[in-house]
Amino acid sequence: MATNLTHFEIFGLEPTFELDRNALAARYRELQREFHPDKYASKSEREQLLAIQMAAQINEAHTVLRDPVQRAAYLLKLAGVEVPPEQTTADTEFLMQQMLLRERLEEVREQPDPASALEELAVEVQGLFRNEQKQFAEVFDAGKLVEAEGSLRKQQFLVKLQLQIEELEADLFGDY
Amino acid sequence: MALLQISEPGQSPDPHQRKYAVGIDLGTTNSLVATVRSGSAEAIADEQGRVILPSAVHYGSETITVGAKARARAAQDPYNTMISIKRLMGRGVADVKSLGEQLPYHFADSDGGMPSIETAAGPVNPVQVSAEILKKLAQRGREALCGKDGGELDGAVITVPAYFDDAQRQATKDAAKLAGLKVLRLLNEPTAAAVAYGLDRGEEGVIAVYDLGGGTFDISILRLSRGVFEVMSTGGDTALGGDDFDRTIAAWIAEQAGLGTDLDAATQRQLLDSACAAKEALANAEQAEVSQGDWQGVFDRATMASLLDPLIDKTLRACKRALRDAAIDVEEVQEVVLVGGSTRTLRVRERVENYFGRAPHAEIDPDQVVAIGAALQADMLVGNKSDDELLLLDVIPLSLGIETMGGLTEKLIARNTTIPVSKAQEFTTFKDGQTAMAIHVVQGERELVSDCRSLARFELRGIPPMVAGAAHIRVTYQVDADGLLSVSAVEKSSGVSADITVKPSYGLEDKDIARMLQDSYTHAAEDIALRALREAQVEAERTLESLLVALRENGAQLLQENELNELELAMEALRLAHNGGDAEEIRRRMEALNKLSEPFAARRMDASIKRAMQGHSLDEFDK
Repeated sequence: MATNLTHFEIFGLEPTFELDRNALAARYRELQREFHPDKYASKSEREQLLAIQMAAQINEAHTVLRDPVQRAAYLLKLAGVEVPPEQTTADTEFLMQQMLLRERLEEVREQPDPASALEELAVEVQGLFRNEQKQFAEVFDAGKLVEAEGSLRKQQFLVKLQLQIEELEADLFGDY
Repeated sequence: MALLQISEPGQSPDPHQRKYAVGIDLGTTNSLVATVRSGSAEAIADEQGRVILPSAVHYGSETITVGAKARARAAQDPYNTMISIKRLMGRGVADVKSLGEQLPYHFADSDGGMPSIETAAGPVNPVQVSAEILKKLAQRGREALCGKDGGELDGAVITVPAYFDDAQRQATKDAAKLAGLKVLRLLNEPTAAAVAYGLDRGEEGVIAVYDLGGGTFDISILRLSRGVFEVMSTGGDTALGGDDFDRTIAAWIAEQAGLGTDLDAATQRQLLDSACAAKEALANAEQAEVSQGDWQGVFDRATMASLLDPLIDKTLRACKRALRDAAIDVEEVQEVVLVGGSTRTLRVRERVENYFGRAPHAEIDPDQVVAIGAALQADMLVGNKSDDELLLLDVIPLSLGIETMGGLTEKLIARNTTIPVSKAQEFTTFKDGQTAMAIHVVQGERELVSDCRSLARFELRGIPPMVAGAAHIRVTYQVDADGLLSVSAVEKSSGVSADITVKPSYGLEDKDIARMLQDSYTHAAEDIALRALREAQVEAERTLESLLVALRENGAQLLQENELNELELAMEALRLAHNGGDAEEIRRRMEALNKLSEPFAARRMDASIKRAMQGHSLDEFDK
């Protein structure tokens, strides 16, 4: 580890769920401009190695922070709650909803107009996802870690569903 | 301590002393070298005024010939003439067998797994062949920059295809080492092309680089913002290129002329030449006359389109996939850059323009554009341009994984992750009392290990006996800015560790390179040991110098007194070793000092990040 700072500290951002994507992107470029190994091409091997480690850590922090689900998991981790991926949720209402969405996904192929059926589904899931993110921001900021953890699990479900939608899209409409 | 001199990265010690740097495009068919002179980048020509060096090496019993003369011998002396050697770089004997039918060479059995080719000059491997090409280009660069009477190049940027895996990149770097070149950076070819067009100085946006060479097609999607290039995705087809155009047109001519399919080599050659000529003629004309034997016909643009479109469609499908990987709509692409001789074909330009909805860049010779971009990057890395803001961020082209139970691949680093990157994952033992763990490093997208490329195997030994599942083995993958991987493994409770720079199963060991250097003609007279000592001394000087600067800057604030004393003792020990004559001893002392100064480096890093942040308030980002 080249630095002991948290991902948020590296980017000079407050550890909150809501963050300014433009600020993140701008800060990322600044950090890379300063620490990228290219800036150390004619320095000692040791310095080059440190630059690699530093740049790797900046990249890792950037990857985690720009993705809402990874960011949420990281915030919980900093707060002492480890949430392994692929966990189940106890919220039966949410599970029912997921099952219905999944059924609809499976039936897309049989629809008269699969393209718009899939598009409709994608928009709906995206909406649910956004709502869940808002929910997470609220409960996390209020210090309700148990609720935040529940919200993260739901987000993980929705991400999976989104991936399946994308796969089906590629499958149905080919490449070109 | 590196990151310690934050105020002055990129500056050369003496601003008036210009350094000699070149960019090299080491291609499958042709290679080029370019450099920056009087502020502009240009390809360097040989004495006959030719900038292109055919990537061909002929091994005679007395002499080694590189370039056009070697290429000319390919027909009469195929076994001793190495062409398209880039296809074998970083490949194992098994891979070569699958390519075998296209290659006329006599492959010898080799112990390391790297293919070895029998020639009149003895056995040679692909790294050595590439090194011969690089030597020739380096010599051209040296003569142009330093004059005929000596002087050395300070460094080179060598381009590689964006999809090159770890083994192929490592092999390229080894070839450069063998040729006596200091590699400043391996640069992805599409990134180099974008740099050549100065797109880094333009506005922000997404750039597509469409590279159609003789035998390969590559598409890369780059994002540029405020001078930072990011390779967002890459794709392509390693068996599709302009040669396929020629073959398709040749087959059409043969069919029109009523020739069968069973043709002798001479007729085939003739057909291909006519096909190529007809294709080129259509760049400026609506139609061209074609003749074959008694047959005479007309080849027009509509015919060419119908013949080439299926092939061009394949390239556009790859474009679409790459855009999808990058999560970019085709409308978002702001610039399209053409690379490779086959993009001169009019139909290709039309289709590309039509697909992307904008006219592609083709102002720079598509054969030279990559070398020119590499030269610009080399000029900057060597420190000739300290004010330049250009920074290239690349991604790894293929996922890196590890073999787990049942021959399955577990991915540690996903493809298209920005590099440098470092990822760790914990594994455990599955048998009671297990004291060793085999680690198998693979690269590729497939689930099964057998479908991925095997990069390396190593073992972590000396794990204390525990019940199954009790040991925690942390495996860390680290990929540097050149895309090269190193792997380390440590058992957490005992601290037992093992690490390797991934030298592919069929790559070269450092000692092999040293031996080849010794064997090779140019370095026969040099004392390798002396060279190693000098290198270690220079490295020691750099280490001491940068640590001194760091200590002066904030040793007092960041170090306890005893820590400072220990550091100074270790520095003194390194100084003593430096004045002695033992390279090994210098390396050992340097290692010790580096390890000891690690906490200080980390504290310096934290401080520098905080300092970099102080100039900003968060509001300013919101705008």
